[in-house]
Amino acid sequence: MFPRLHFAVCFTAVLGPTLVHTLCPDTADGYKVRLSIKTALGDDAYKWDESEMFLFRATLAFAMRKYNQKPYEVSDVLVCNETQRVSFWFVVTDPENTSELISGKDVERAVRISRNRINNAFLLTDETLEFLNIPPTLAVPAESGTPPWLIVFGVVIGVVGVGIIALLISSFIQKRRKKGVTEGEEEDCEEEACDKGNGVSHPVEEGADGVNRGFVGDIPFTKL
Amino acid sequence: MTAIKQLGASGMDRLYCHWGQGPPPHPSSHQCALPPKMDGRPSWDTPLQFVLACVSYAVGLGNVWRFPYLCQMHGGGGFIIPYLIMLVLEGVPLFYMELAVGQKMRLGSIGAWSAISPYLGGVGVASVVTSLYLCLYYNVIIAWAFWYLFHSFQATLPWAECPGNENLTGVLQECEASSPTQYFWYRETLNITSSIEEGGGWHRGQALCLLLAWAVVYLCIIKGVASTGKVVYFTATFPYLVLIIYLIRGVTLHGALNGLKYMFTPKMEQLANPMAWINAATQIFYSLGLGFGSLIAFSSYNEPHNNFEQQAIVVSIINSGTSIFASIVTFSIYGFKATFSYESCLERMRTLLLNTFDLVEDSINKENINHWMTELNRTDPGRFSSLSTQLQSCNLEAELDTAVEGTGLAFIVYSEAIKNMPISQLWSVLYFSMLLMLGVGSMLGNVTAITTPLRDFKFLSRRLSSEALNGLVCLLCLLLSLGFTTRSGSYWFAIFNDYACTFSLLFIVLIEIIGVCYIYGLTRFEQDIEDMIGHRPHWYWKVVWAVLGPLIIVGLFLFYVSSYIMGGTPTYQAWDKDLGKAIAKTYPVYAQAFIVLLLLSSMSCVPLVAFLSYCKSKKEPQEQVVSCPLNSKEAS
Repeated sequence: MFPRLHFAVCFTAVLGPTLVHTLCPDTADGYKVRLSIKTALGDDAYKWDESEMFLFRATLAFAMRKYNQKPYEVSDVLVCNETQRVSFWFVVTDPENTSELISGKDVERAVRISRNRINNAFLLTDETLEFLNIPPTLAVPAESGTPPWLIVFGVVIGVVGVGIIALLISSFIQKRRKKGVTEGEEEDCEEEACDKGNGVSHPVEEGADGVNRGFVGDIPFTKL
Repeated sequence: MTAIKQLGASGMDRLYCHWGQGPPPHPSSHQCALPPKMDGRPSWDTPLQFVLACVSYAVGLGNVWRFPYLCQMHGGGGFIIPYLIMLVLEGVPLFYMELAVGQKMRLGSIGAWSAISPYLGGVGVASVVTSLYLCLYYNVIIAWAFWYLFHSFQATLPWAECPGNENLTGVLQECEASSPTQYFWYRETLNITSSIEEGGGWHRGQALCLLLAWAVVYLCIIKGVASTGKVVYFTATFPYLVLIIYLIRGVTLHGALNGLKYMFTPKMEQLANPMAWINAATQIFYSLGLGFGSLIAFSSYNEPHNNFEQQAIVVSIINSGTSIFASIVTFSIYGFKATFSYESCLERMRTLLLNTFDLVEDSINKENINHWMTELNRTDPGRFSSLSTQLQSCNLEAELDTAVEGTGLAFIVYSEAIKNMPISQLWSVLYFSMLLMLGVGSMLGNVTAITTPLRDFKFLSRRLSSEALNGLVCLLCLLLSLGFTTRSGSYWFAIFNDYACTFSLLFIVLIEIIGVCYIYGLTRFEQDIEDMIGHRPHWYWKVVWAVLGPLIIVGLFLFYVSSYIMGGTPTYQAWDKDLGKAIAKTYPVYAQAFIVLLLLSSMSCVPLVAFLSYCKSKKEPQEQVVSCPLNSKEAS
């Protein structure tokens, strides 16, 4: 596989076989590409062959066209130093002057603009289709009007607030009702025996002898 | 029969009619007292509510994040042995004692201890102060749990990925250096400053969550026992439901068995380490929530003949059982996380080798990576040595050994594990809801420990309804604890967590146990218990109360004091955003002074109040012996 690919590359660069050797890899204007197809796709991985390489060169030519609208062709993308890892170097020549290379900076910008399209052509991602030394373009974070957590927060605190108000109102009504019922006996209801609305409370009971036990504790307390 | 009125704590004159105190000592006289059923004190609807309230209070965050850590530190499953021994020796008897005191005195901690002896009223005050500190910082954890819970309702969990930097060429540097979960915790949740000296502003989101946390607590305690009694049905049972679901999910995760194996291979030699025993004793002590006054408050609402002995044993066993159960879940999660990290490490090494040597992609895999490494080292040592800085040996044991506790475990390690589970949003919601329930359940006890003694003061309960009083307490605590929502708030949280309650509790419980056994009198206490549950306590309880308990607590106290003194200047973990990790820094002088203030402010209540009541008793005549009017039955 490996020697055949190498031959294929040299064959396609028939216009300037010398060019391939001199221009590629030009480390100033060339980039190394690495694909990890098996890591990305597992069992659905496709085999890397000349057709895939053709697609790569075509995609890159497309990216260059999108960048500066010059009529790039597949033959303007030169590839060399392929390995079994599936990694290789490429350079891009100027369509008007095939002995000139497009500068690295321009290639980088072009790739960054169309990175998503290039990735998708190969069913890969930024991590599995690496252009070494070209930083990936991360997706713009989705800007939502209100952060979602605030919405959930609003709902929960609304429910809690309603609950508190409901309980306060209900205890207020209970107290009003109790006040109305025990209006006549209010004097008998000392604080010790009748707690104000604190849940279950026990009413004052009269002993069998008629003594109101509510006062029993108080009577012995003489002042100093 | 005479009732003796003791002058002392104001506003509670009526109460001293209950028992004879001081000379002449004679068995409890109830003649003048209102029978407990008629003193108007609210009570639980059923004894089950009381048990659930105690369970809800005792089973808290410590069971989930402290006990598994201690297990890991002290040889896995073997730690359960000192833990259970300490439970029997120290936990259950002290729990029993507090319930007995509360149920007998039918008052909050201040009133109950004043009734035991007027010189001991300070113990109650110290309990209230310690509970106040606990309330202030504990609710912040609930606020954090709410924050994480609300952030779980998103397509991708925010702590799963690093956010991009300004020009979107890569991820934020701070996140890159640490990890997405750490970044989310330190930067997004806390927005932490690099040291305690730098105040920073408020974190609005945290302040809102704290407001919500206090609103929820208020909602639960608004009507005192009537509302708390209903809420505990849920707060006590929901965490178990989640733990069971997590147990099933946890043990089916890939790599969970590694964690479980690690836990269940006990390293028995750790039992010889005294730290294991000290940590076990300390853990039992704090886990049961002794000394805060919450147990006294809860049991003061009991029916007078409620069988608290059985309940004390049941609740203590449930609490310890929950710790062990939670650590099984935690260890399976640990195992999953460690295996995941180990396999990621292997993956990174594999990629590194593939890329450097340009080998075919599937030639190296997890099994033969070590073989390849030796091969490549042999055949191409030049290139191999250039990788030496990047190569790391991936070790599963080392991953399992990284023990984390506290907020780090709950919010970083667990969320790290959750983000790698399928359907992570669901697991995240479940987990943080469980943390919430655990926290709220404990908070109910903490706040009740403050409101109950306050309600016992006549001048407060006459003027304010219980809703208003509870609301004021919650509002006050909310305003004070807003300080924890500043950017350096997490450092102050650490101060409170480490110092606010630790020493004071040991001190309080020591005074409690000595007060009950030696000042109130063990025989009188026995008699009270017999009046309540119909039989005297077994001699084992008495031995622990009189001898073993104080010994253990004194031992713990001395140990902590000496380790504090010998430990040098206390340090804290400060987050360095450039390095992406926490580094140790020493506390500045004012923070150390604050620590001392925290410790002294609660402990000094005991001698202060004792002194005050001594002065008062000197100023006025010792006691007034007054007689109760005999009713017609007694007269005849």
